[in-house]
Amino acid sequence: MPFSAHDLRYNLEANFPALYTYLHHRAQRFLGSLQFDADEVDQVVEHVIEQLVRLGVAGGGDEKPLTPLDSLTNAQFYAFLNRSVEHKAIDRLRKRRLLVSSFAELEKEGTEAENNPLNEVTESVWGAQPFPTPEEIALKLASTQELRVLLRHCIEALKKAPHQLQAVLQELEEFGTTALLRAVTEDLKETSYVPEASLANSSQHRDHAHKKLRICLQRKSSNLAVIVALRLTEYGEHTVSMHQEVTVDIQILAQDNLSEDDVRIGLKRLTAEGILNWHDEEIVHLTAVQKKRLRRFYKFE
Amino acid sequence: MTDHQQFEDKSNPPGSPGEYERLAKWLKETLPVTTLLSENVSSSSDDEMEFEGLFDETYHLHFYQQLPDFVIALLKNDPLVNIRFAPLLYHLLICPDCHRAYLEIYDAMRVAVQADEIQPPVSQGLHFSVEPPPARVVVHLCKVLISQAEAVLRQAHRDHTNGDPLARSLLQQAMRISSRIAQNGVRGQALEDLVRVATLFNGAGVTDNPAAHSYSLQLTGSGGPRRGKTVRRAETFRHAGSPTEQPVIYLRDSHLEGTITQHEDSLELHLEDLDEHLRGHYVIITIPLGSLFEPVHWIGGNPHAIRSAVPVAEDGTLTTPLGETTLRMNNPEERNQLEVTFWRLEVRPA
Repeated sequence: MPFSAHDLRYNLEANFPALYTYLHHRAQRFLGSLQFDADEVDQVVEHVIEQLVRLGVAGGGDEKPLTPLDSLTNAQFYAFLNRSVEHKAIDRLRKRRLLVSSFAELEKEGTEAENNPLNEVTESVWGAQPFPTPEEIALKLASTQELRVLLRHCIEALKKAPHQLQAVLQELEEFGTTALLRAVTEDLKETSYVPEASLANSSQHRDHAHKKLRICLQRKSSNLAVIVALRLTEYGEHTVSMHQEVTVDIQILAQDNLSEDDVRIGLKRLTAEGILNWHDEEIVHLTAVQKKRLRRFYKFE
Repeated sequence: MTDHQQFEDKSNPPGSPGEYERLAKWLKETLPVTTLLSENVSSSSDDEMEFEGLFDETYHLHFYQQLPDFVIALLKNDPLVNIRFAPLLYHLLICPDCHRAYLEIYDAMRVAVQADEIQPPVSQGLHFSVEPPPARVVVHLCKVLISQAEAVLRQAHRDHTNGDPLARSLLQQAMRISSRIAQNGVRGQALEDLVRVATLFNGAGVTDNPAAHSYSLQLTGSGGPRRGKTVRRAETFRHAGSPTEQPVIYLRDSHLEGTITQHEDSLELHLEDLDEHLRGHYVIITIPLGSLFEPVHWIGGNPHAIRSAVPVAEDGTLTTPLGETTLRMNNPEERNQLEVTFWRLEVRPA
């Protein structure tokens, strides 16, 4: 019965029954009291199958480049599958636990740890993962030089509005981001920028500066939805109706290396984000609220 | 010296971890994270459901498939991981689905790479006799393969690359695997998106000339055809000269019916009641999935444009060969494969 990652990649059809048998067996084991619930077992099995297909490990053939999973030994690959099943089973158990009034019965299922998968993972499913939360990723990103370069350029672009620039620099100082602040101020020494001793209405200047920073970052984005969002806000400003609505012709958006098809894809994505209410019309209608949200729309990609 | 290098020099020594934390906080306040909005998008309307099917915004193939490389780099303490995978890191920041997948894959790979070192090989579950997967799981696999093919094609279209070979391979696997499903209705569920994906982006069957007739495969089992219409059972289907015991594949376009029969290696198409404007003329027959199915040698070599061997008869009937194959329609599994190939068949004036 044994199969390998290689088997799944190059001959999924023949090895699928063996994969299914293995995953099914492991799912039943990890699902504890839910092991006889066919729907729950299926959900676990199907999740892992979907993961393998999406990663290109199952059915990828020669057309999909090899992944580190293809380099695992058989024992390692089974360990990967085993853990993936365990994770999903725990996920299902947790969701079920939220649905039932008491989870005590799960604890009575047996004394073996394998029948109580939650026991060993209650405190931490992930162990010592480097980025368990988006906040930690943000932290890591903030420490990367690419981001700092981008921010530096956007902040320096504010020098035409010295008060706004000063407000942001004050903000950086307040946050204690001295390295970035030092880099920006050293660059500014070569310009005629001279900060004022005290800045009146700093919060107002700061708000304006944030707006410009967002536009700057939007303009530097290669994300299609972000580009279209920016154009909607820029090109639609002169067509305000009595009801504070903005209308923008798709043809106007399709300029400067952006085809009409690209624009439509971008509009669909913005609709999917819940920002637009667009149904393939030639004219895009925006409310004031939508326009405001578009100005703040940004996606890293 | 580049800006990149200049900044690196000027920030040397780099800021303290505390400073990064503060900068990260400022960044998160300045840049709204819009992905949270997408989690709350209602998909109740039909339009939105359709849209959701066309653009699965929760699955980002480009980033998802980088996760194993990213994770292994982390596990090996690659010092350049943040540089090499910066776009992925940005994406994980705002995409909860990919972030969830990252956590899962990290955890499983971490256990996997330690498997040989700290514990014996995981052998549990390897010594059981193989069980045939139930049809519902096979249906799911087919759907996932087709969905993956669509994601590959969309990504390739966006990147201006060629995703056809991989997508084609995935669709072919879905077709082959689905032939193991005995129940026609269930097989229909497994392949419901097959034609749409196979004809995505200038794919098979797309021509400027609109089809005069567009036939769909008639699956006579429970669940019926894709469009849910009542299907006349095989025994009652009328076809002049077709022996009842002869294996037949049934097609339907609205009120029109058609069949495909096999004579030794040859596959033959029979149509009736074709439009008057087609009568006395040759027609072009398009089999959109034909190019995905290699065991058939199509007449003329192109299943998207098979010219009929004879003109449509004055009574609207047409009998013409389509191609040759060594597969046999009286073999259930091979018949299933052939049926899938004829999931759709179009007829247009030559």
